[in-house]
Amino acid sequence: MSVATLPGTGTETDSRTEELTFSDVPWVVIVWNDPVNLMSYVSYVFQSYFGYSEAKANKLMLQVHHDGKSVVATGSREEAERHTLALHSYGLWATFQKADQP
Amino acid sequence: MTTGFKLTRKGITASLEPGERDLLRGLFADVAGMLEPETPSHEDPLAALVGLDSSAEVPGDPALLRLLPDGVQGDDDDALEFRRLTERSLREGKIGALRAASMALESSPLHLDAEQARHFARALNDVRLVLGARLGLATDEDAEALHSITEPADAGDVDEYLALVYNFATWLQETLMKALLETLPGD
Repeated sequence: MSVATLPGTGTETDSRTEELTFSDVPWVVIVWNDPVNLMSYVSYVFQSYFGYSEAKANKLMLQVHHDGKSVVATGSREEAERHTLALHSYGLWATFQKADQP
Repeated sequence: MTTGFKLTRKGITASLEPGERDLLRGLFADVAGMLEPETPSHEDPLAALVGLDSSAEVPGDPALLRLLPDGVQGDDDDALEFRRLTERSLREGKIGALRAASMALESSPLHLDAEQARHFARALNDVRLVLGARLGLATDEDAEALHSITEPADAGDVDEYLALVYNFATWLQETLMKALLETLPGD
């Protein structure tokens, strides 16, 4: 990630850089295909829970369907855990992991 | 006359036969029963308050496992820790949706507002997940193989009856999702 030196914010930028170095590798949320969940239901969950556009929701849904799984969100560990639990509450099978994990 | 869900001015509505309502009511109750936590909340009220269940284990029943899946792949310790932190809340949320769906069945014809419709969709989905697990559906092809079982006359044994019920719930959920998708803000 590039570091711009913004006028008058030297210290703030530096401390933000340090935070970025130490902070989490982003975490990802993966949704796995299963034969029961309807494509319409999966797309609806992606649109209503994540607020994704119809186009993005359908694209992710089709990736899950064809590839067997897809990354549907990224964020901090806490966010990834929260999304995973929410997706489970909708009956989707989701897992979370570090972004650089295979 | 059974109609699937439709979006109308009065909300999302459907007409179901009394037998179909009874069937759904029974299914919602069965799945809610499966989801009741094994350790009652009163045995550890503080833990229950924050949704913890320190005794939760990976369910042995494949249907229950599908309702309460692992949140982490490839690390059983992490998966179990996540389960212990979240499973009680997950169970309670699903039971809530199933109960809300049961109550919605009381009106005839069914009229669902947006929130009830979401509960009903989640409830139907959980019912289908359980039926799918009982039928051993592992692939999309497995599910497609059941498509022809749509009339009571088609169902000659227990598995075919389960398939009939599964197909009915699938059809009903499909009509509900079509209606719900129409309620989302357009692009």
